[in-house]
Amino acid sequence: MSVFQILNLLWEGIGVSLKIFFLTLLFSLPLGLLIAFGRMAKNKIVSAIFGIYISIMRGTPLMLQLFVIYYLPYFAFKIPLSTFGANYRLTAVILAFVLNYAAYFAEIYRSGIASMPVGQYEAAKVLGMSRGQTFFIVILPQVVRRILPPVTNEVITLVKDTSLAFAIGQIEMFTKAKQIAAAEVSMLPYVVAGVLYYIFNFAVAYGMGLLEKKFGKYAIK
Amino acid sequence: MNTPILEVKGIKKTYGKKEVLGGVGFSMQRGEVLSIIGSSGGGKTTLLRSLNFLEVPDEGTICVEGETVFDAAWVKKQSKFRAKPEHQLKFGLVFQSFNLFPQFSVKKNLTLAADLQAKKAYAKDKAGLSAALAEISQKADDLLNRINLSDKAEEYPSNLSGGQQQRVAIARALMLNPTILCFDEPTSALDPELTDEVLRVIRDLRDAGMTMIIVTHEMEFAKSVSDKVIFIARGVIAEEGTPEEVFDHPKCEALRRFLKRDFASSNEE
Repeated sequence: MSVFQILNLLWEGIGVSLKIFFLTLLFSLPLGLLIAFGRMAKNKIVSAIFGIYISIMRGTPLMLQLFVIYYLPYFAFKIPLSTFGANYRLTAVILAFVLNYAAYFAEIYRSGIASMPVGQYEAAKVLGMSRGQTFFIVILPQVVRRILPPVTNEVITLVKDTSLAFAIGQIEMFTKAKQIAAAEVSMLPYVVAGVLYYIFNFAVAYGMGLLEKKFGKYAIK
Repeated sequence: MNTPILEVKGIKKTYGKKEVLGGVGFSMQRGEVLSIIGSSGGGKTTLLRSLNFLEVPDEGTICVEGETVFDAAWVKKQSKFRAKPEHQLKFGLVFQSFNLFPQFSVKKNLTLAADLQAKKAYAKDKAGLSAALAEISQKADDLLNRINLSDKAEEYPSNLSGGQQQRVAIARALMLNPTILCFDEPTSALDPELTDEVLRVIRDLRDAGMTMIIVTHEMEFAKSVSDKVIFIARGVIAEEGTPEEVFDHPKCEALRRFLKRDFASSNEE
């Protein structure tokens, strides 16, 4: 079997992997910010609840979380999973990824926000800016700049983590490669999949590098 | 006598058990320059920050042009208090460490807050908004020209020297037409050779009739630029008067000791 034939068969799986990747980022990046706000809330109970959430999400394996979310309707409410339709598996994967990654992003946001000098808030305040204006115009762009390197790390991990979806039987690139390898008794599909993951991550690192450059035009204290 | 431009009465502030301000009051007339001197930890910066609503006093009132902008009796919960925007903007503040917004150009630092206000005021009036924005831009250009930094308009603050950054910070505060402009040790974060350019700008502002309050360690400067000097020690005004009275004929012992030490240390440099 040639590389092109393998690529052709992998194609469907690549689409699913990309879907998991982009949808996870799309939802977990903003959700992470909300969780970070919850974690930093002045109300101790609110802060503790979000703290526990983050702790559980970071303290247990993503694969286990996948299982829990996928099977929860059945084991908790005895609802057969087939009632949710054909897309349920992928929805469960994305939901689990979003909840998990949002916890990591929340901690990154929190560290970035905490590292901002108080003088920036005060300068905005004496200029009559509202709290919202202060955060979104003055603070957040500087936070984004500070957290780009740790976010890049997470995004690269996410590319590789998409392969975990195979655990609940979601067909994505890795699952597909496994199937082809078994059918053809060949290592080549794994090699091709590995190269594809690598290229994908190379693109991610390059893209994030461009962002860092764009934000790096100014120096911060 | 006219209504004072600023009248501060009985400002008290306590952190935990430590009383930082123990009932401070003073008043100013339009166009006056007031310098506040005193040892570190004496409460002078807390006083200035209280005027700018960065600290919420436990007691006292602040009136600007006869209008009460702060009354401790209004404040039930310290952490929740936020001054009305129009009251906040009566004061401008120049920080010791500039606090320019690093992600914006020098000019954007000047126009940002004014632009936001204009966008709010002219939300439904496109022609009005573009006229207002053009006016703001022109004003920023004029101010940059006035502080001799027109050529740096598009630079990021980090590409400027400390003295240049502080001049930009002054221009930024002036953009919003504060009634009273406050300075919190404006030259303390600067190398000695850069202080003059900043002090020159402040002097120009005085000549233009700006009402200013300056917390400073630059005694020679305070002496030459001020109409009135307040010496704060242990949270209270220990002595106040004209620069001549305060610097040349200090009455209280604490002030005499403070001046002696300060001039001695500036001679050592």
